[in-house]
Amino acid sequence: MNAVNLASKKKKAEPANTKNPTAAIFNMVPSSIRQYLRQLGPEILGGLEELRLRQDRPVILSFNNRDFFINKNGGLTENPEQAYCAGEEDIQRTVQLVSGSSLYALEEELRNGYITLPGGHRVGITGKVLAEQGQVRSIKYISGFNFRVCRQVLGAADKLIKHLISFQREVHHTMIISPPRCGKTTLLRDIVRQLSNGIPHLNFPGVTVAVVDERSEIAGCYRGVPQQDVGVRTDVLDSCPKAAGMIMLLRSMSPQVIATDEIGRLEDVNALEEVFNAGVKVLTTVHGASLEEISRRPALRELLQLKVIERFVILDRSKGPGTIKHILDGKTCRSLGVV
Amino acid sequence: MLKLIGAALILCACACTGFSVARDYRRRPVELRLLQSALQMLETEISYGATPLPDALEQVGKRCESTVSSLFMITSQNLLKGEGITAGEAWEEALKKFHRKSSLKTSDLEVLRVLGSSLGISDREDQVKHLRLAREQLKIEAAKAEEEAAKNVKLYNYLGFLGGLTIILIFI
Repeated sequence: MNAVNLASKKKKAEPANTKNPTAAIFNMVPSSIRQYLRQLGPEILGGLEELRLRQDRPVILSFNNRDFFINKNGGLTENPEQAYCAGEEDIQRTVQLVSGSSLYALEEELRNGYITLPGGHRVGITGKVLAEQGQVRSIKYISGFNFRVCRQVLGAADKLIKHLISFQREVHHTMIISPPRCGKTTLLRDIVRQLSNGIPHLNFPGVTVAVVDERSEIAGCYRGVPQQDVGVRTDVLDSCPKAAGMIMLLRSMSPQVIATDEIGRLEDVNALEEVFNAGVKVLTTVHGASLEEISRRPALRELLQLKVIERFVILDRSKGPGTIKHILDGKTCRSLGVV
Repeated sequence: MLKLIGAALILCACACTGFSVARDYRRRPVELRLLQSALQMLETEISYGATPLPDALEQVGKRCESTVSSLFMITSQNLLKGEGITAGEAWEEALKKFHRKSSLKTSDLEVLRVLGSSLGISDREDQVKHLRLAREQLKIEAAKAEEEAAKNVKLYNYLGFLGGLTIILIFI
């Protein structure tokens, strides 16, 4: 019960971080663009999903599934003629600000094409790629940015969580199936947080959760420290390849649950098998729209044939990001009701 | 009596001016050498440690001699303030403050200014090249500065004093 108290305290302390998630992003754009962003009201900033900068083209803000340009005279517009375009100077400054003036320290990040900012926000980068023997070495002449606002939705898994825990208070092996941008990472993060903190009304004590965060999306680590609330009993292995990471955590951190994002390769499935056999519960996500769709992918077909996954959660965007379409029981493939 | 006090004052002023000019000549090669070794440290931080620039500058600032450390410390602090300024601007600002206290000439500062404009904007190899170039140039300046120091330190030490004496003699 002690743990539960801790959990609720943590919850109260959290909003400081979530209140203004866009502030961290504003510090990363040059003042020429920042001055426009500062004028925007909270109703826009509160829902901001992406901010895109492309050299010599209009700056784009997207929220509610729509794109807007920044009006040169302030405010937003949908007319490209009035739009503020990012100049070379803007882009060069953004490169420096995003990299903390240390582009040389971000070689690995540039190879992957994105940088994680404090606060867990992601910046996608495009430009001229330097390749060496078919491998990406770095990106030079950076010319485009996509700032993806990372917004933690505490309680995203509230309605779902009771289906993921058995009567014996054991976590079910769970797979979240979702197309991109439907909130699967947000959901996974909240499930991790709740399992780790414990869930008082279900009488579920917290369990040790280990997260392999290959793309730094779940915990949004900045220099190894999670920037998102992932719970008090959660260990995060940041930027680690999933297959290797799962085995590492299994051996080193004795977790009760291992969570990872976007599995799909054969080696991931092999590592998952190892985890199943070690008696550790698995939380994972896959890109896809339905069970049939993912079972067409060879690696995943193999995984499904093992018939160990007990819950499938299928997401879509029909009622905004994070809509839970189905929860299926793994053995019977029957729906446990839509939430 | 008044004359004597006046003469003493003139002598004092002239001697001090001479000494301070001489001190500048003496200190410049020392500072240039210290800067070279500081840049060497920065190069190591960047090329082997891949330390982010604000941290790297702070490390260098802590380890190098106090005469040149302010340049690195101020740049690091400017960057950490997080007000959306670039490394080049932070360096430039620090350079202005550093210049006031240092004995460097404008040609030396120009070398540092050029270096500042390329700090942190490229990959490791490139950064190392820029740092080496700056060090090489500072070395040349240091050699020149030493030559000048050898010629001028004694000269100005005496010149101030003797100049003062001459003025006194003329007026008396």
